[in-house]
Amino acid sequence: MTALLATEHLTMRFGGVVAVDDVSLTVADGELRCLIGPNGAGKSTLFKCLTGQIKPSAGRILWRGQDITGLDSFEIARLGVGIKTQVPSLFDGLTVLESVRLALRRQARERAARAQALATLERLGIVELAPRLVALLAHGQRQLVELAMVVAPEPDLIILDEPTAGMSAEETTRAARVIRALNAAHAIIVVEHDMQFIRAIAKTVTVLHQGRVLVEDDVASVLADRRVQDVYLGKADATPLRRCASASPKVHQ
Amino acid sequence: MSGIRLPIELAAASSVAIAAILVLPHVLELFALINATVYVSLAVLALSLALVWGFGGILCFGQAAFFGLGGYSYAVAAINFGDTTYAVPVAIAVPALVAAALGYVMFYGRISDVYMGAITLTLTLILFNFVNSTAGDQWRVGAAPLGGFNGIPSTPPLNLPGDPGNPLPPEWIFAIAVVSLLICYILAKLILRARFGRVIVAIRENERRAELLGYDVRAYKLGIFVIGGAMAGLSGLLFANCVFVSPTMFSLFYSGQIIIWVMVGGLGTLVGPVIGAILLNLLTTWAGTLPEINPSLILGAILVLAVLVMPRGMLPSLATVLGRFRGAGGVT
Repeated sequence: MTALLATEHLTMRFGGVVAVDDVSLTVADGELRCLIGPNGAGKSTLFKCLTGQIKPSAGRILWRGQDITGLDSFEIARLGVGIKTQVPSLFDGLTVLESVRLALRRQARERAARAQALATLERLGIVELAPRLVALLAHGQRQLVELAMVVAPEPDLIILDEPTAGMSAEETTRAARVIRALNAAHAIIVVEHDMQFIRAIAKTVTVLHQGRVLVEDDVASVLADRRVQDVYLGKADATPLRRCASASPKVHQ
Repeated sequence: MSGIRLPIELAAASSVAIAAILVLPHVLELFALINATVYVSLAVLALSLALVWGFGGILCFGQAAFFGLGGYSYAVAAINFGDTTYAVPVAIAVPALVAAALGYVMFYGRISDVYMGAITLTLTLILFNFVNSTAGDQWRVGAAPLGGFNGIPSTPPLNLPGDPGNPLPPEWIFAIAVVSLLICYILAKLILRARFGRVIVAIRENERRAELLGYDVRAYKLGIFVIGGAMAGLSGLLFANCVFVSPTMFSLFYSGQIIIWVMVGGLGTLVGPVIGAILLNLLTTWAGTLPEINPSLILGAILVLAVLVMPRGMLPSLATVLGRFRGAGGVT
């Protein structure tokens, strides 16, 4: 079976810096994949390549076996890819309902679109926000509204860039639950660096380091992997692993 | 978004237009009526920028270029055809085509907003200088001399379709201008209500998000830009019918003024800029009759005051004040 999304030797150079270096990975239909790595590992650049915000310097991106390298963001979205950015990207001047309505690009019939938009809001438990102006919402609500816009058109794949950025521990746990629930209907790629969150949601984890794939395995093996620990511990910032170690002593025996 | 509001707004606008057509020609003297026609034509121009900038989010300094192109295309076509019937579509099509070409380069070339302002402004200045230097007999398009600084004083007034022997009197021209303004307003309303317009507003709110939802932002922007260009062309045609075409139509004076009308009237509304254009022109004309005071000085003072007192413009500020009494929403 062909993979839903695959990259082949994907490389992105900025002048002399190679931000993404020969990355090949495949994501199957219905999969939940985490892309992790310390700061500067190339996660964001890879996210931008996958979502058509920048064109890779070399390599290919395949969607169900078809070459989609170099397509624009809107063309990638039309394939059935829902994209959620790190800082919620919203229509501040519009209502929540209108925002979600706009996400249903292919649904031209007004009444059906409205009903579908309301159903999506209902599913995410924020139907009461429908008439509210997006600009007036709290941070957590904004995240959910963006998620509603992403899932409303029933994409085959959802790509989330650091969904827990700026969230409290409690909110992070809830977000993990939401993402696992979404995975029942959509394949998901999550770009993250919060290890605790990864542990809570992931099945397969791809670890990036200095633009390359360091390890790709199930979450327990990845967390136990010496190289991953070195990458996270190696430099100045050791917090992610410590936090993770205290939360999962079994993994780091 | 409520269902009854749109018909009410359209009915109100139509009533005002009908009242103006029925009453003003009887109470105004000929000179004042022609002036009124000029204001209405400029209101169409303001409406075109209200759509492009206020809703499309494209700050275009080139609206005067489309205005001038509309006027000149009309004059040149009317003189050459010896009849204004087909000069009307020419006056709308030429600026629309130029807007399409320019817009294609700007939007598909992904030129940023700042450069877009510079490019549209430059186009206006180039046209201004070009038309200004077309004095002399070698500068003619068919039978129409471009006339350089003097413009084309022989710009023919509209005639009944297919009947060039019958130029329309100023009362008719006034009525046509008012009806044109009304049609443009209704058209703008319908565009904004339709899917196309809603996507346009979404793009203004967040271009990136619109793109991530699968909308080809470039095509939408190009669409609204061309509609704005065509509307500005129509405005140039109406203007040419009250005065005559001259290079001042391309001048910085107009490019700047249109922006002031829209800002003072209320960015993001349609009625605001129309009222802004008419009021500010009335005021400028009145200030022109005062001895010892430069009208530009008064206009400048008004702009500064407006920005300080009503940063969102006249209409939204008024709506806020009224809303405090009635608890009602905004006006568009």
